[in-house]
Amino acid sequence: MRPNFFHHLHPPTIPARQSRWRYTLGAGGTAIFLVLVLIITGTLEMFYYIPTTDEAATSIQTIAYLVPFGGLVRNLHFWSAQFLLVVSAVHLARVVFSGAYAPPRRFNYLLGLVLFVSAILLDFTGYILRWDTGIQWALVVGTNLLKTIPVLGNRLYVLLIGGIQPVQATLTRFYAWHLVGLMLPAAFLVGWHAFRVRRDGGIALPPASMRTDNERITRFELVRREVLAMLFSASVLILLSVFAPAPLAAPIKEITAISGDARAPWFFLWVQQMLKWGDPFVWGILVPLIVLAVLALIPYIFPRPAEKDLGRWFPKSNRMAQIILAGIALLVIALTIIGSLAAF
Amino acid sequence: MRKWIVLASGTLLLTLALARWMEFRQPQLVSLVPTLTGQPEYCLSCHGELPEISSSHPVKTFGCVLCHGGERLAMDADLAHSSMRGGENPSDLAVVEQSCGGGNCHSGTTADNLDHIQRVLTSVQSTYAGAIANIRFTFGAQPDQIARFGIQSITDSHITTKTGLPSLNAFDPSNETSPLIQQFADNCLTCHINATLQDGTLFARLTGCAACHTPGINGFAKGQIHHLTTTIPYSQCNTCHNRGNYDLRSMAFIERTDVATDRLHDYYQPIAQFTRCEYTLDCVDCHTRSEAMGDGDLHSNKKDIQYIQCKTCHGTLTELPQTHTITEADKLAFKLAFLNPVVDLKAGDSVLVTEKGELLWNTRVLPDGSYEMTGKVTRQNFTFRPVKGTTCKQKPEQQGSQYCHECHSVER
Repeated sequence: MRPNFFHHLHPPTIPARQSRWRYTLGAGGTAIFLVLVLIITGTLEMFYYIPTTDEAATSIQTIAYLVPFGGLVRNLHFWSAQFLLVVSAVHLARVVFSGAYAPPRRFNYLLGLVLFVSAILLDFTGYILRWDTGIQWALVVGTNLLKTIPVLGNRLYVLLIGGIQPVQATLTRFYAWHLVGLMLPAAFLVGWHAFRVRRDGGIALPPASMRTDNERITRFELVRREVLAMLFSASVLILLSVFAPAPLAAPIKEITAISGDARAPWFFLWVQQMLKWGDPFVWGILVPLIVLAVLALIPYIFPRPAEKDLGRWFPKSNRMAQIILAGIALLVIALTIIGSLAAF
Repeated sequence: MRKWIVLASGTLLLTLALARWMEFRQPQLVSLVPTLTGQPEYCLSCHGELPEISSSHPVKTFGCVLCHGGERLAMDADLAHSSMRGGENPSDLAVVEQSCGGGNCHSGTTADNLDHIQRVLTSVQSTYAGAIANIRFTFGAQPDQIARFGIQSITDSHITTKTGLPSLNAFDPSNETSPLIQQFADNCLTCHINATLQDGTLFARLTGCAACHTPGINGFAKGQIHHLTTTIPYSQCNTCHNRGNYDLRSMAFIERTDVATDRLHDYYQPIAQFTRCEYTLDCVDCHTRSEAMGDGDLHSNKKDIQYIQCKTCHGTLTELPQTHTITEADKLAFKLAFLNPVVDLKAGDSVLVTEKGELLWNTRVLPDGSYEMTGKVTRQNFTFRPVKGTTCKQKPEQQGSQYCHECHSVER
């Protein structure tokens, strides 16, 4: 078979272990597929979305109810965005739990972390673009967190919000961030991240001399596996889109009268839950930043996993990193569950 | 591997087919661009069966959203209805200004006769000020019967009558020391037009404007009452004014458990007296819009606003009732006759007129000196004569209805 363009994006052959589901979980590849879905559906939404405070929510209603298949497109965009966070987190967990961040992959680990943070910010800015009563709490209270930062707080707030309270400029800025400030660099970084995977020798495995099995698969087989994962992911996305539409609420009438849902979006519930513990700067900004810093430092502060241990889950040689990540993950998951059950 | 791909492709096609099928299941979109808003709305996709609310509010002109609010584009029932004003009743007084008001509608000035909302909000029917003042006076909480409190606090900057009050505070029972006044507050504050009545009551009515203008809601399925009219039958007035009786000893309101079918015999007060016109005409045949909806002033008592008496139509022994010859300038009379076309009112017609100058446009002075009234609901014609020139023994200063009832009341 003559390889086509898509085949050529892949190496001619790779070690079979690098593409084993139970090792990689297919998380990184699925994330790339979700990014593609997001770019396509997001582009389609741009033809109808009107980024003004008066018309944003009604233009989304137009997409959801009046444009042929608009509801499906919007729901696909929503569900892809939610899954992107889950899949990225799983990808991060796989990398840490298998010690795959070890040199030469330290830099790519940081690129991945930047992408993960970008995905969270893209989710948040996209959520704000709804500009309806469902996002009002997160918009008003969430952005007010910035003001608690010592010295720079108020300036950062005005920089992000474009006023002393959310106004048209705020929506314009979130729109610009979502489409240009975050999406463009992230799209570029996705390419760089994937390029670095190949440049760093593919998905982490022990050096060839230490491997027990030397089985390899061709790019044709690899592409088939990717297609299978895409077909499966697409089916799940469509099913969810049909039966669980993305949330919508009535347009915001008065920004300062917070009447809608007082719940943060689910990926920030853990922060919202911590805010109940005291100082908003400490719990709302400092602690999340410390968590991020700890994640970023994992490849640099913990002992390097043994080369022979690479390519499998939970090697003994990087136990400490596994414990740290498991601790963070459990806390975030627990706080998210508590937050989603709590009444606001 | 190929087998798996074929299987996954099949699954994807199935989910796509499902998505297409779900699109089919959506109701057919019905777009409406009302001339007053110019913005498309899709409410009729589901609500196409609703009758036109009134000939004065054609849906092609008003649409739905102008009055009801709601999300005009949403095809999800919860979202579409989430921002509706006043739930199913946009005329509830809490939202009436947004729903029925606005510069060109029912919120204007006395000059253009469009001050409906201001008049209703200040009328005793919504303030309930008279009852509150009387009860507080009776139980020693205030030294006179001048109203100080209403259901809600309200001010009136433009007083036009002698009994008009500048403002009323919201009645707060927790400030009252008398247990009987508190009992009154617990049991008796459902007698104003914005009170929501209990479910299952025999005397169902809506709140706000619809309390009167949407008559006969019993028997309608919920959400199907879509009707506004100025043809208000006595039975609608009865949902409040024949609903039951007060027990002043226990300070409770006892709602009647039977449905009144006989106007004469089923009136709640056994001692009440009626002349024939009082139980054959509808209330709106005699009682004017300013009596029913208020004159824009805050009053202490129903008596300050209710002024139609027997003599309004029948005159006295010495005087004929006042009359007025209709001219083109009598725009309000023409408008009311247009809204409820029971008579063909023309310039040159001679009609009865009240002492405050309100034209009783459904009456006529007949050539033989007698009068004719056309029922606003029944469309029946009633002819009647003036007192002057009869053998009536009334004294000129005794014009209250109780004096007329002495001879003219009907045995019950």
